[in-house]
Amino acid sequence: MSSTVQSEPGEIFDIELDENLKRANELIADENRERLRNHGVRTVDVMGSVGSGKTSLIEQLVRLLRGQYRIAAFKGDLTTKIDSERIASLGVQTVQINTGRECHLDANLVRKALGKIDLNSLDLIFIENVGNLICPADFPLGSDKRVVVVSVTEGPYMVMKHPFIFADADVAVINKIDLAEPMKVDTSRLAADVRSINARTSIALTNCRTGEGVQSVASALDLKHVS
Amino acid sequence: MHEFSRTSEIVDAVLSEAKKQGALKVIEVEVEIGDLTFLGLEQVKFAYQVLTDKTIADNSKLTIRQIQGRGRCGSCGYEGALSYLDDPQFHMSFPTFNCPRCGRPLAISAGRECIIRRIRITK
Repeated sequence: MSSTVQSEPGEIFDIELDENLKRANELIADENRERLRNHGVRTVDVMGSVGSGKTSLIEQLVRLLRGQYRIAAFKGDLTTKIDSERIASLGVQTVQINTGRECHLDANLVRKALGKIDLNSLDLIFIENVGNLICPADFPLGSDKRVVVVSVTEGPYMVMKHPFIFADADVAVINKIDLAEPMKVDTSRLAADVRSINARTSIALTNCRTGEGVQSVASALDLKHVS
Repeated sequence: MHEFSRTSEIVDAVLSEAKKQGALKVIEVEVEIGDLTFLGLEQVKFAYQVLTDKTIADNSKLTIRQIQGRGRCGSCGYEGALSYLDDPQFHMSFPTFNCPRCGRPLAISAGRECIIRRIRITK
């Protein structure tokens, strides 16, 4: 004889979900990382506010390293192609990622960009994130290294105002040091701020217009270069 | 940032599961949000009300458990809460990711969560 148990109308049920909403991006980031490692391609995610010097830094790194590495550059931007055209003019392959309304790159967009290049023909990819120091912190892309660029023209509190982005930063670049004096910004104070948030983050002081300090960024990223 | 899109993901996942379970109404949703995750909780609660309007989760209670940031030190073995630096002059309090005991870098072990733990439904 079988019996059936039926729920009463209005009976309450607790359903365990344990659904991790960040997992989707993390999984794709892991996939990207795996794919890049399997092809021996190093990747650097470059973050910073609008005008901090991300594109200039990448330009200088490309000039320094194109003799030793086969390089490509991805550029995330809401609407324009201005920055990727600058890098393309150096003779490296560029992929423009127009994020539309999104304020950060995510692993899915990077995965799509990886589909547009031949990883067998590359050693190094620079990924320039959208100009934003807040949102990219929550969206890993699957890169080896993360660089955060702040410039002295943004004032003395940029590091303290954006602590979260330094949690995963391998290198902090303090740029436009030639303007520190007129801006009355103490670059050693900015460096100390970085160290107090994350002792792991290497610090480089640069003038990405002239290239001063860029070799130290390359060294901090474990990229071989001829001095 | 992204309170609206994250909350939208929460509501979508809740409604999808509720539908799968044959629910009549969703009466409560419990989520865990780490304090290192970039979400303003008031905005999440507001977005939740807006997004559940006219759905079976309308008027349901959103319970948010905040998870404190924690780290593990590979050098001295410290395991515990992160330390926060306060700057009273500028009214700033920000987390640091160095070991409170020895100052070396920590591996973050908690505080980045954005998880839907469970939902309470009626059938």
